[in-house]
Amino acid sequence: MCDKLGANTKPTYPVILIAAVKGICRPTFTMMDKTEKPETKKYTALREGLTELIAIPTYLACGELAAHLSKKIKFKNVPEDVKKSLTKRAARNFMFIGVCVAALFVIPGLCSIAIKPIMDKLLPNNKPKSPAENLDPQLILHNPLLKKPDMSTFTGKRLVKPVYNTQIRPQLKVGGV
Amino acid sequence: MIDLVSKIITSSPLTTMAQSASTQVTVETTMKAIGRPGFILIDNNIDPDTKKYAAAKEFLYQATCLLLYATLVVPLFKEGAFKLGPKLFKEHAKDFAKFKNANDYYRYRKYAEKPFESDRKHNNKINHLFNKELQTELKTKEEPELFNRIKGTIEAGNILGSVLGLAILAPQVSHVIIHPCLRALGMENKKHKPQNKIDTKA
Repeated sequence: MCDKLGANTKPTYPVILIAAVKGICRPTFTMMDKTEKPETKKYTALREGLTELIAIPTYLACGELAAHLSKKIKFKNVPEDVKKSLTKRAARNFMFIGVCVAALFVIPGLCSIAIKPIMDKLLPNNKPKSPAENLDPQLILHNPLLKKPDMSTFTGKRLVKPVYNTQIRPQLKVGGV
Repeated sequence: MIDLVSKIITSSPLTTMAQSASTQVTVETTMKAIGRPGFILIDNNIDPDTKKYAAAKEFLYQATCLLLYATLVVPLFKEGAFKLGPKLFKEHAKDFAKFKNANDYYRYRKYAEKPFESDRKHNNKINHLFNKELQTELKTKEEPELFNRIKGTIEAGNILGSVLGLAILAPQVSHVIIHPCLRALGMENKKHKPQNKIDTKA
Protein backbone atom coordinates (compact mmCIF):
# COMPACT_ATOMS: atom_id res chain seq x y z
CA MET A 1 0.00 0.00 0.00
CA CYS A 2 2.78 2.42 0.94
CA ASP A 3 4.64 1.69 -2.31
CA LYS A 4 1.52 2.45 -4.33
CA LEU A 5 0.82 5.59 -2.32
CA GLY A 6 4.42 6.70 -2.75
CA ALA A 7 4.36 6.16 -6.50
CA ASN A 8 1.11 8.06 -6.95
CA THR A 9 -0.49 10.04 -4.14
CA LYS A 10 -3.86 10.79 -5.73
CA PRO A 11 -5.39 14.04 -4.45
CA THR A 12 -8.72 12.28 -4.13
CA TYR A 13 -7.45 9.94 -1.38
CA PRO A 14 -7.05 12.43 1.49
CA VAL A 15 -10.02 14.65 0.57
CA ILE A 16 -12.44 11.72 0.30
CA LEU A 17 -11.19 10.17 3.52
CA ILE A 18 -11.51 13.49 5.35
CA ALA A 19 -15.03 14.04 3.97
CA ALA A 20 -16.08 10.51 5.00
CA VAL A 21 -14.81 10.83 8.58
CA LYS A 22 -16.15 14.40 8.81
CA GLY A 23 -19.53 13.19 7.58
CA ILE A 24 -19.68 10.85 10.57
CA CYS A 25 -17.93 12.88 13.28
CA ARG A 26 -19.25 16.41 12.71
CA PRO A 27 -22.95 15.46 13.00
CA THR A 28 -22.10 13.28 16.03
CA PHE A 29 -20.41 16.20 17.78
CA THR A 30 -23.33 18.47 16.91
CA MET A 31 -25.80 15.99 18.38
CA MET A 32 -23.69 15.78 21.55
CA ASP A 33 -23.84 19.55 22.10
CA LYS A 34 -26.01 20.12 25.17
CA THR A 35 -26.38 23.87 24.74
CA GLU A 36 -28.44 23.68 21.54
CA LYS A 37 -32.13 22.87 21.16
CA PRO A 38 -32.86 19.30 19.93
CA GLU A 39 -34.58 20.56 16.75
CA THR A 40 -31.67 22.83 15.86
CA LYS A 41 -29.19 20.05 16.58
CA LYS A 42 -31.07 17.62 14.33
CA TYR A 43 -31.27 20.17 11.51
CA THR A 44 -27.59 21.17 11.77
CA ALA A 45 -26.36 17.57 12.04
CA LEU A 46 -28.36 16.47 9.01
CA ARG A 47 -27.14 19.46 7.03
CA GLU A 48 -23.50 18.74 7.90
CA GLY A 49 -23.90 15.06 7.04
CA LEU A 50 -25.54 15.86 3.70
CA THR A 51 -22.78 18.34 2.79
CA GLU A 52 -20.10 15.66 3.20
CA LEU A 53 -22.29 13.08 1.46
CA ILE A 54 -22.49 15.36 -1.57
CA ALA A 55 -18.76 16.13 -1.34
CA ILE A 56 -17.50 12.51 -1.61
CA PRO A 57 -18.84 11.59 -5.09
CA THR A 58 -18.21 15.13 -6.32
CA TYR A 59 -14.50 14.98 -5.44
CA LEU A 60 -14.21 11.59 -7.10
CA ALA A 61 -16.08 12.64 -10.25
CA CYS A 62 -14.30 15.99 -10.65
CA GLY A 63 -10.88 14.42 -10.06
CA GLU A 64 -11.40 11.60 -12.53
CA LEU A 65 -13.03 13.82 -15.17
CA ALA A 66 -10.22 16.33 -14.93
CA ALA A 67 -7.62 13.56 -15.21
CA HIS A 68 -9.22 12.51 -18.51
CA LEU A 69 -8.43 15.97 -19.92
CA SER A 70 -4.76 14.97 -20.07
CA LYS A 71 -5.55 12.83 -23.12
CA LYS A 72 -6.56 15.97 -25.01
CA ILE A 73 -3.14 17.56 -24.65
CA LYS A 74 -0.95 17.00 -27.67
CA PHE A 75 2.79 17.19 -27.23
CA LYS A 76 4.67 18.20 -30.33
CA ASN A 77 8.20 17.04 -31.22
CA VAL A 78 8.46 14.80 -28.17
CA PRO A 79 9.61 11.15 -28.24
CA GLU A 80 6.98 8.52 -27.48
CA ASP A 81 8.34 7.47 -24.06
CA VAL A 82 8.62 11.09 -22.87
CA LYS A 83 5.12 11.72 -24.20
CA LYS A 84 3.82 8.86 -22.07
CA SER A 85 5.42 10.15 -18.89
CA LEU A 86 4.25 13.72 -19.61
CA THR A 87 0.66 12.52 -20.13
CA LYS A 88 0.86 10.64 -16.82
CA ARG A 89 2.15 13.74 -15.08
CA ALA A 90 -0.53 15.90 -16.70
CA ALA A 91 -3.25 13.46 -15.53
CA ARG A 92 -2.05 13.73 -11.92
CA ASN A 93 -1.90 17.52 -12.06
CA PHE A 94 -5.30 17.77 -13.75
CA MET A 95 -6.76 15.58 -11.01
CA PHE A 96 -5.39 17.99 -8.39
CA ILE A 97 -6.92 20.94 -10.26
CA GLY A 98 -10.22 19.02 -10.52
CA VAL A 99 -10.30 18.50 -6.75
CA CYS A 100 -9.56 22.20 -6.18
CA VAL A 101 -12.37 23.23 -8.57
CA ALA A 102 -14.72 20.83 -6.76
CA ALA A 103 -13.87 22.39 -3.39
CA LEU A 104 -14.11 25.97 -4.68
CA PHE A 105 -17.17 25.87 -6.96
CA VAL A 106 -18.87 22.52 -7.52
CA ILE A 107 -19.51 21.33 -3.94
CA PRO A 108 -20.68 24.69 -2.49
CA GLY A 109 -22.81 25.22 -5.60
CA LEU A 110 -24.38 21.76 -5.42
CA CYS A 111 -24.97 22.15 -1.69
CA SER A 112 -26.72 25.48 -2.09
CA ILE A 113 -28.97 24.00 -4.80
CA ALA A 114 -29.66 20.53 -3.39
CA ILE A 115 -29.54 20.74 0.41
CA LYS A 116 -32.57 22.99 0.99
CA PRO A 117 -35.09 20.84 -0.96
CA ILE A 118 -33.68 17.65 0.61
CA MET A 119 -33.90 19.16 4.10
CA ASP A 120 -37.46 20.33 3.47
CA LYS A 121 -38.40 16.78 2.45
CA LEU A 122 -36.60 15.05 5.31
CA LEU A 123 -37.60 17.50 8.02
CA PRO A 124 -40.79 19.21 6.79
CA ASN A 125 -41.70 20.63 10.23
CA ASN A 126 -38.23 21.73 11.10
CA LYS A 127 -37.50 24.64 8.79
CA PRO A 128 -35.08 27.18 10.24
CA LYS A 129 -36.86 30.15 11.71
CA SER A 130 -36.26 33.70 10.61
CA PRO A 131 -34.19 35.83 13.02
CA ALA A 132 -37.36 37.60 14.22
CA GLU A 133 -38.97 34.26 15.10
CA ASN A 134 -35.84 33.16 16.89
CA LEU A 135 -36.07 36.00 19.44
CA ASP A 136 -36.51 35.01 23.03
CA PRO A 137 -40.09 35.85 24.24
CA GLN A 138 -38.57 37.14 27.48
CA LEU A 139 -36.47 39.55 25.52
CA ILE A 140 -39.52 40.89 23.71
CA LEU A 141 -41.46 41.19 26.96
CA HIS A 142 -38.81 43.19 28.79
CA ASN A 143 -37.36 45.19 25.97
CA PRO A 144 -38.77 48.73 26.05
CA LEU A 145 -37.89 49.13 22.36
CA LEU A 146 -40.14 46.21 21.40
CA LYS A 147 -43.03 47.02 23.78
CA LYS A 148 -46.42 47.97 22.42
CA PRO A 149 -47.43 51.56 23.24
CA ASP A 150 -49.33 51.94 26.49
CA MET A 151 -52.97 52.81 25.62
CA SER A 152 -54.16 53.33 29.21
CA THR A 153 -54.31 57.10 28.70
CA PHE A 154 -57.34 56.62 26.44
CA THR A 155 -59.57 55.13 29.17
CA GLY A 156 -60.80 58.61 29.95
CA LYS A 157 -60.93 58.56 33.75
CA ARG A 158 -57.25 58.39 34.52
CA LEU A 159 -55.07 61.43 34.70
CA VAL A 160 -53.27 61.96 31.46
CA LYS A 161 -49.61 61.95 32.25
CA PRO A 162 -47.16 62.40 29.42
CA VAL A 163 -44.38 59.84 29.42
CA TYR A 164 -41.10 60.59 27.68
CA ASN A 165 -39.25 57.44 26.99
CA THR A 166 -35.76 58.76 26.48
CA GLN A 167 -34.35 55.27 26.12
CA ILE A 168 -35.86 54.69 22.72
CA ARG A 169 -33.37 56.82 20.85
CA PRO A 170 -30.66 57.84 23.31
CA GLN A 171 -28.69 59.74 20.70
CA LEU A 172 -31.47 62.33 20.34
CA LYS A 173 -31.39 64.60 23.39
CA VAL A 174 -33.61 67.55 24.17
CA GLY A 175 -32.02 70.65 22.77
CA GLY A 176 -30.39 69.05 19.79
CA VAL A 177 -26.79 67.93 19.98
CA MET B 1 -1.28 29.12 -25.99
CA ILE B 2 -1.80 25.33 -25.96
CA ASP B 3 1.97 24.92 -25.56
CA LEU B 4 1.90 27.22 -22.52
CA VAL B 5 -0.98 25.26 -20.96
CA SER B 6 0.78 21.94 -21.56
CA LYS B 7 4.03 23.38 -20.12
CA ILE B 8 2.23 24.55 -16.96
CA ILE B 9 0.24 21.38 -16.56
CA THR B 10 3.35 19.18 -16.82
CA SER B 11 5.60 21.46 -14.78
CA SER B 12 7.68 19.94 -12.01
CA PRO B 13 6.59 22.34 -9.17
CA LEU B 14 2.91 21.64 -9.89
CA THR B 15 3.58 17.89 -9.85
CA THR B 16 5.42 18.17 -6.52
CA MET B 17 2.45 20.11 -5.11
CA ALA B 18 -0.13 17.75 -6.56
CA GLN B 19 1.64 14.67 -5.23
CA SER B 20 1.91 15.79 -1.61
CA ALA B 21 -1.01 15.02 0.70
CA SER B 22 -0.26 18.00 2.96
CA THR B 23 -0.31 20.45 0.02
CA GLN B 24 -3.46 18.83 -1.36
CA VAL B 25 -5.28 19.23 1.95
CA THR B 26 -3.96 22.78 2.52
CA VAL B 27 -5.05 23.95 -0.94
CA GLU B 28 -8.41 22.16 -0.67
CA THR B 29 -9.12 23.76 2.75
CA THR B 30 -8.17 27.19 1.38
CA MET B 31 -10.57 26.67 -1.53
CA LYS B 32 -13.30 25.67 0.92
CA ALA B 33 -12.61 28.78 3.02
CA ILE B 34 -13.23 30.91 -0.08
CA GLY B 35 -15.94 28.88 -1.84
CA ARG B 36 -18.33 27.98 0.97
CA PRO B 37 -18.74 31.49 2.51
CA GLY B 38 -18.86 32.93 -1.01
CA PHE B 39 -21.78 30.71 -2.03
CA ILE B 40 -23.60 31.46 1.23
CA LEU B 41 -23.25 35.20 0.56
CA ILE B 42 -24.62 34.98 -2.98
CA ASP B 43 -27.63 32.89 -1.95
CA ASN B 44 -30.72 35.08 -2.35
CA ASN B 45 -33.02 32.79 -0.36
CA ILE B 46 -31.38 33.60 2.97
CA ASP B 47 -31.97 36.62 5.17
CA PRO B 48 -28.97 39.09 4.91
CA ASP B 49 -28.09 38.89 8.62
CA THR B 50 -28.26 35.10 8.61
CA LYS B 51 -26.10 35.05 5.47
CA LYS B 52 -23.41 37.20 7.09
CA TYR B 53 -23.47 35.11 10.24
CA ALA B 54 -23.34 31.75 8.41
CA ALA B 55 -20.58 32.95 6.05
CA ALA B 56 -18.47 34.29 8.92
CA LYS B 57 -18.97 31.07 10.88
CA GLU B 58 -18.00 28.89 7.91
CA PHE B 59 -14.96 31.04 7.13
CA LEU B 60 -13.80 30.94 10.75
CA TYR B 61 -14.26 27.16 10.82
CA GLN B 62 -12.17 26.61 7.69
CA ALA B 63 -9.54 29.12 8.89
CA THR B 64 -9.27 27.24 12.19
CA CYS B 65 -8.87 23.98 10.25
CA LEU B 66 -6.13 25.50 8.11
CA LEU B 67 -4.25 26.98 11.06
CA LEU B 68 -4.48 23.79 13.06
CA TYR B 69 -3.42 21.70 10.10
CA ALA B 70 -0.40 23.84 9.20
CA THR B 71 0.88 24.31 12.74
CA LEU B 72 0.16 20.98 14.37
CA VAL B 73 -0.80 18.19 12.00
CA VAL B 74 1.76 18.55 9.19
CA PRO B 75 4.95 18.84 11.30
CA LEU B 76 3.85 16.21 13.81
CA PHE B 77 2.60 13.49 11.46
CA LYS B 78 5.11 14.05 8.65
CA GLU B 79 8.14 13.64 10.92
CA GLY B 80 6.33 11.08 13.06
CA ALA B 81 5.69 8.83 10.07
CA PHE B 82 9.31 9.21 8.89
CA LYS B 83 10.61 8.17 12.31
CA LEU B 84 8.13 5.30 12.59
CA GLY B 85 8.93 4.04 9.06
CA PRO B 86 12.13 2.04 9.85
CA LYS B 87 10.35 0.30 12.73
CA LEU B 88 7.38 -0.65 10.57
CA PHE B 89 9.35 -1.72 7.50
CA LYS B 90 12.52 -3.29 8.83
CA GLU B 91 13.65 -4.48 5.39
CA HIS B 92 13.68 -0.82 4.25
CA ALA B 93 15.35 0.58 7.40
CA LYS B 94 18.59 1.10 5.43
CA ASP B 95 16.77 3.35 2.95
CA PHE B 96 15.30 5.47 5.72
CA ALA B 97 18.75 5.83 7.30
CA LYS B 98 20.06 7.55 4.14
CA PHE B 99 18.01 10.67 4.96
CA LYS B 100 18.17 12.98 7.98
CA ASN B 101 14.45 13.74 8.05
CA ALA B 102 11.31 13.88 5.88
CA ASN B 103 12.27 17.24 4.37
CA ASP B 104 15.67 15.85 3.40
CA TYR B 105 13.94 13.00 1.58
CA TYR B 106 11.62 15.40 -0.31
CA ARG B 107 14.65 17.49 -1.31
CA TYR B 108 16.26 14.37 -2.78
CA ARG B 109 13.08 13.38 -4.60
CA LYS B 110 12.78 16.87 -6.08
CA TYR B 111 16.25 16.50 -7.64
CA ALA B 112 15.59 12.90 -8.68
CA GLU B 113 12.58 14.00 -10.73
CA LYS B 114 14.56 16.69 -12.57
CA PRO B 115 16.08 16.04 -16.03
CA PHE B 116 19.45 14.28 -15.81
CA GLU B 117 21.52 16.13 -18.40
CA SER B 118 20.51 19.69 -17.62
CA ASP B 119 19.80 19.70 -13.88
CA ARG B 120 21.67 16.84 -12.22
CA LYS B 121 24.78 15.68 -14.07
CA HIS B 122 26.97 18.71 -13.27
CA ASN B 123 25.04 20.23 -10.39
CA ASN B 124 27.44 21.05 -7.53
CA LYS B 125 24.58 21.83 -5.13
CA ILE B 126 23.94 18.10 -4.86
CA ASN B 127 27.41 17.60 -3.32
CA HIS B 128 26.55 19.85 -0.38
CA LEU B 129 23.07 18.49 0.22
CA PHE B 130 23.37 14.69 0.17
CA ASN B 131 25.72 11.90 1.21
CA LYS B 132 28.06 10.12 -1.23
CA GLU B 133 25.63 7.31 -2.02
CA LEU B 134 22.78 9.66 -2.90
CA GLN B 135 25.14 11.94 -4.83
CA THR B 136 26.16 9.01 -7.05
CA GLU B 137 22.54 8.05 -7.50
CA LEU B 138 21.58 11.55 -8.64
CA LYS B 139 24.67 12.34 -10.71
CA THR B 140 25.17 9.08 -12.56
CA LYS B 141 21.75 7.55 -13.15
CA GLU B 142 19.19 8.85 -15.55
CA GLU B 143 16.42 7.33 -13.47
CA PRO B 144 17.60 7.36 -9.86
CA GLU B 145 15.92 5.38 -7.10
CA LEU B 146 12.85 7.26 -5.83
CA PHE B 147 12.35 5.31 -2.59
CA ASN B 148 8.59 5.15 -3.02
CA ARG B 149 8.21 3.23 0.24
CA ILE B 150 9.57 6.24 2.18
CA LYS B 151 7.25 8.64 0.37
CA GLY B 152 4.29 6.30 0.86
CA THR B 153 4.99 6.08 4.59
CA ILE B 154 5.21 9.86 4.96
CA GLU B 155 2.06 10.40 2.88
CA ALA B 156 0.14 7.76 4.84
CA GLY B 157 1.13 9.60 8.02
CA ASN B 158 0.03 12.88 6.47
CA ILE B 159 -3.34 11.44 5.44
CA LEU B 160 -3.89 9.94 8.89
CA GLY B 161 -2.97 13.27 10.47
CA SER B 162 -5.29 15.14 8.10
CA VAL B 163 -8.22 12.90 8.99
CA LEU B 164 -7.57 13.10 12.74
CA GLY B 165 -6.83 16.81 12.65
CA LEU B 166 -9.56 18.01 10.34
CA ALA B 167 -12.40 15.62 11.07
CA ILE B 168 -11.98 15.05 14.80
CA LEU B 169 -9.78 17.74 16.38
CA ALA B 170 -10.78 20.79 14.32
CA PRO B 171 -14.55 20.67 15.11
CA GLN B 172 -13.72 20.60 18.85
CA VAL B 173 -11.19 23.43 18.65
CA SER B 174 -13.37 25.52 16.36
CA HIS B 175 -16.30 25.13 18.78
CA VAL B 176 -14.18 26.85 21.43
CA ILE B 177 -12.75 29.53 19.12
CA ILE B 178 -15.61 30.44 16.77
CA HIS B 179 -18.19 31.76 19.25
CA PRO B 180 -15.86 34.24 21.01
CA CYS B 181 -14.67 35.41 17.58
CA LEU B 182 -18.25 35.91 16.38
CA ARG B 183 -19.04 37.81 19.58
CA ALA B 184 -15.97 40.00 19.07
CA LEU B 185 -17.19 40.72 15.54
CA GLY B 186 -20.58 41.72 16.96
CA MET B 187 -22.41 38.90 15.17
CA GLU B 188 -23.48 36.96 18.23
CA ASN B 189 -24.85 37.99 21.65
CA LYS B 190 -23.48 36.43 24.81
CA LYS B 191 -26.98 35.52 25.98
CA HIS B 192 -30.42 36.91 25.35
CA LYS B 193 -30.69 38.80 28.61
CA PRO B 194 -33.85 40.84 29.22
CA GLN B 195 -32.97 44.45 28.64
CA ASN B 196 -35.00 46.02 31.38
CA LYS B 197 -32.37 48.39 32.63
CA ILE B 198 -33.24 52.01 32.02
CA ASP B 199 -30.49 54.15 30.70
CA THR B 200 -30.64 57.10 33.02
CA LYS B 201 -27.73 58.92 31.39
CA ALA B 202 -29.56 59.50 28.15
